[in-house]
Amino acid sequence: MSNESLALFLAHSIELESEAKNRYQELSETMATHHNDEVAQFFARMAREAKRHLKEVRQLAKGLELPKIRAWEFDWPGEEPPETASYEELHYLMTLRQAIEIAIKNERTAERYYRAMAATSSDQETITIATEFADEEVEHTAALEKMLADLPENGSCPRLDDDEPNMPE
Amino acid sequence: MNKALKAKDYKSDIKPIWCPGCGHYSVLNAITKAMAGLGLDKDNLALVSGIGCSSRLPAYVDSYGFHGVHGRGLAVAQGLKVARPELTVIALGGDGDGFSIGGNHFMHACRRNINMVYIAMDNEVYGMTKGQASPTSPEDWLSSKLTPHGPGVRPFKPAAVALASGATWIGRAYSGNPNQMAGLIAEAIEHPGFSFLHALSQCITFCPEQTDWKSIVKERAEPACTHHDQAAAVFFNEEGFDTGVLYTQQRAVWPPQQGSAPREDALDQLAAKFRV
Amino acid sequence: MTQKHLSIAITGAGGAGVISCGELLLQAWGRAGGRGLLRKAFGPQIRGGESAALLKLTERERYTAAERYDLLVAMDWDNYARFEDEICLSADTLVICEEKKPVPEAVSALTSHIVTLPFAAEARSTHQDGRVNMLALGLLGKLLGLPVDSLCELAARKLTKKPDPYREAAELCIRRGAALSPPSELDIPPRSEAQRWYISGNQCAGLAALEAGIRLVAAYPITPASDTLEWLAGGLEAVGGQLIQAEDELAAINMCLGAAFGGVPAFTATSGPGLALMTESIGLAVASETPVTILNVQRGGPSTGIPTKSEQSDLNIALCGMHGDAPHLVLAPLDIADCVFTTGWSVKLAQHLQTAAIVLSDQFIGQSTAIISDPDRCNFEFPAASAASGDYLRYRLTESGVSALATPGDPGCRFTADGLEHNEKGTPSANNSDHQQQLQKRLHKLTAFDYGDSWGRVSGDGQVAMVGFGSSSAAMEEAAERLAEQGIAVRVVALRLLSPLPVNALQKALSGCEQVVVVEQNHGKQLYHYLKGQMDFEQTLHSYAVPGPVPLSPVQIAERVAGEVGQ
Repeated sequence: MSNESLALFLAHSIELESEAKNRYQELSETMATHHNDEVAQFFARMAREAKRHLKEVRQLAKGLELPKIRAWEFDWPGEEPPETASYEELHYLMTLRQAIEIAIKNERTAERYYRAMAATSSDQETITIATEFADEEVEHTAALEKMLADLPENGSCPRLDDDEPNMPE
Repeated sequence: MNKALKAKDYKSDIKPIWCPGCGHYSVLNAITKAMAGLGLDKDNLALVSGIGCSSRLPAYVDSYGFHGVHGRGLAVAQGLKVARPELTVIALGGDGDGFSIGGNHFMHACRRNINMVYIAMDNEVYGMTKGQASPTSPEDWLSSKLTPHGPGVRPFKPAAVALASGATWIGRAYSGNPNQMAGLIAEAIEHPGFSFLHALSQCITFCPEQTDWKSIVKERAEPACTHHDQAAAVFFNEEGFDTGVLYTQQRAVWPPQQGSAPREDALDQLAAKFRV
Repeated sequence: MTQKHLSIAITGAGGAGVISCGELLLQAWGRAGGRGLLRKAFGPQIRGGESAALLKLTERERYTAAERYDLLVAMDWDNYARFEDEICLSADTLVICEEKKPVPEAVSALTSHIVTLPFAAEARSTHQDGRVNMLALGLLGKLLGLPVDSLCELAARKLTKKPDPYREAAELCIRRGAALSPPSELDIPPRSEAQRWYISGNQCAGLAALEAGIRLVAAYPITPASDTLEWLAGGLEAVGGQLIQAEDELAAINMCLGAAFGGVPAFTATSGPGLALMTESIGLAVASETPVTILNVQRGGPSTGIPTKSEQSDLNIALCGMHGDAPHLVLAPLDIADCVFTTGWSVKLAQHLQTAAIVLSDQFIGQSTAIISDPDRCNFEFPAASAASGDYLRYRLTESGVSALATPGDPGCRFTADGLEHNEKGTPSANNSDHQQQLQKRLHKLTAFDYGDSWGRVSGDGQVAMVGFGSSSAAMEEAAERLAEQGIAVRVVALRLLSPLPVNALQKALSGCEQVVVVEQNHGKQLYHYLKGQMDFEQTLHSYAVPGPVPLSPVQIAERVAGEVGQ
């Protein structure tokens, strides 16, 4: 029974990291297509970190039979997995500062999720791993906050574009 | 044995050119998740669209696709499904494409109850041609140069029109919740009959105020209506932001399945009838 | 002699604002008495994509695309490759670009005149909201000898609704850009004193429609015609007219017919795919003799084609798109300024002759902005058909072919307009003589009409002639100048009236020529085949037909013509 509980938790963790990785990758690509290179590179870096963490989680899950869960059947506190940035928070003129702020928010959401998993599980292995994951998110958050501190302030009107939108079709 | 495909595997190599912040990324995400969730075979899957930002979607999915002319995607999709009933056919497009120029085809597709899915990605604007009002734009939406005082006419109610025209599955989704949308798309595909999914999908460029949708969209608490009177009361009185399966009904799918296989001498028999 | 010109390309991506830079620069140039043309090119993104402002500053108001660019200002090189077809560089091109971004090999291989400047850093250090496009504007303005105050004023006008810091930043950056301007030996075209307009072909057409009496427009958005419709939305309100946003082009054309039937002159604008939808009802306009004017801004075809690029491939559908025998008017503006005359003329002709007029503009003319002198208007006034009286027959056979036109409200003249063939009264008829007579009437009213001298523009002289329409006109005229410099005399005939084809006038214009080259921007040689089918030529006809997306090249046209005449 404890294996089932751990398996369910790890299935969620894998989905969480996998979605985070895929999402950051997509966001990076769309920012690159719209020539916001600074933010594109940042999101690509976040995707790589998520990929690293995903590998760790998969390693932990080796040998376990994980339940097959379809994307909409996962049990998340919100609409999307924690740590998955919403597509709709993007803007082609967003600054690196704004991108980092989104990433920090995601890390904190993930941390809260893992702490909640640790708090509500009755399986010791799950609790241990969930706590570890939560602590890792705290580290990530600290690193991002440092990055933020080193950045210059944004201009007051970063999202203004003098040109009209294009009409491609 | 084939490895189960993940959502990512249903995406093509072509990167979308939608603006960052566009709701259509969520719709693409949801469609691919639904396909993965159902284990659909890419080679027996066709996406059909018209013209507009939404209609660019088929190029971003690794399946068969047809990018047709403005407003006629549903007609093409119906022709395809009737000719090749074993394919999974999904028609999609925007609110301008589907409810303005495509309005007539929308009504009749619902009426025919062909077993297919139509996803209308509604952002209440003509995005591709630079921001004109669409049939679902609010009456007092002032941001278009073509209708600077607002359209001044009551917005089109897609769910109500679908119901009146005979659709047998009506759902609503929101781009802020792609997982829920994925589940709804899967249900829509599995429903035997014409499934209409009204997908609210924000336009960050021409309708930045749509980020407010986040706070008014909510999941429908009750189960889906199963009777049209009940559904009509909902669709005529709602604000249009409730998500989930809103209405479902069982009705014979058109066309009915063919009987036995044709005779080998069928053509000869036909010609013979002309002998005098 | 070919005119002096200076071609400037400004490129950038990710919201760099290069289009605004180009617009403000051309406005300032025009204010200072200069002439020029602005075209735009884009990647497929709606926001933040790669963009190019393509300017050609000229001595005269004859506007063609630039063969080579004298100056390229690149804010960055993101996806610059997209523009390589359009922005041709030479060894003499001066490139001014962002210091921090490596210059692509494709560019450095062609020219060694490369000046790098720290645009991004300068913008940031000038003001926290500083933008590179305003730096570029100041820099370019200085190179062209334009007063910096003029640039600042125009920018302030454009940014009037933006927050204060943003506007301050713009002015500071313009002034800083002027200070950063490198020395150059650019050969700048002369300017003069006159007051001019800054306007696009689409806007010209819209203005002309209103001036000619249009008071109802039914609109459905389509690239590249939407600008006309959007301009008309405001214009119509000002003159007491109405605009209906239709659900599709089928509705749009029929709404126009409804208004016209009610006596209110009506107009719509579309492009190829929309025109294709409208053909059935344009035929209805012809058969029911209901006046309507349709502006078709041609784009790359067929089907969805290349929506943002120009072509002249809708000639066939404009001429023959209606089923049955449905003679009607087809006209084409010669250039941006001529959109005013030709659209006005088309509306007046359609109203007077009670038929459909298709005005063939194209994306090059429609969406380019130019500095023009006060444009010529069509001042013709056509007498109203004699007042309907007593025994009213809507489709009465007359000498001119035009019958008196009653309108709902007129007492005692009630009739039902009909697309069904009909007799003089308007009653549907399958009768042999009615069909013969009505067909003949509808044709005769167009062919017997005296269109005067406005049918086309003839220039130059020589044994070789070029014939074309629309944006081919300027390209042919420039090609003719180049040929003249090589000692080859060429006549240019630019057609305004395409249907009915002014055969006599055209024959007269070509008399004495031995060779004719038909110049057009399409793949199917549509004008060439049309002319051959419509008239007998004494001359040998040749075809120069090159489809879009790249604009017609006067240099290549001249080469071809020179080759054709064996010199």
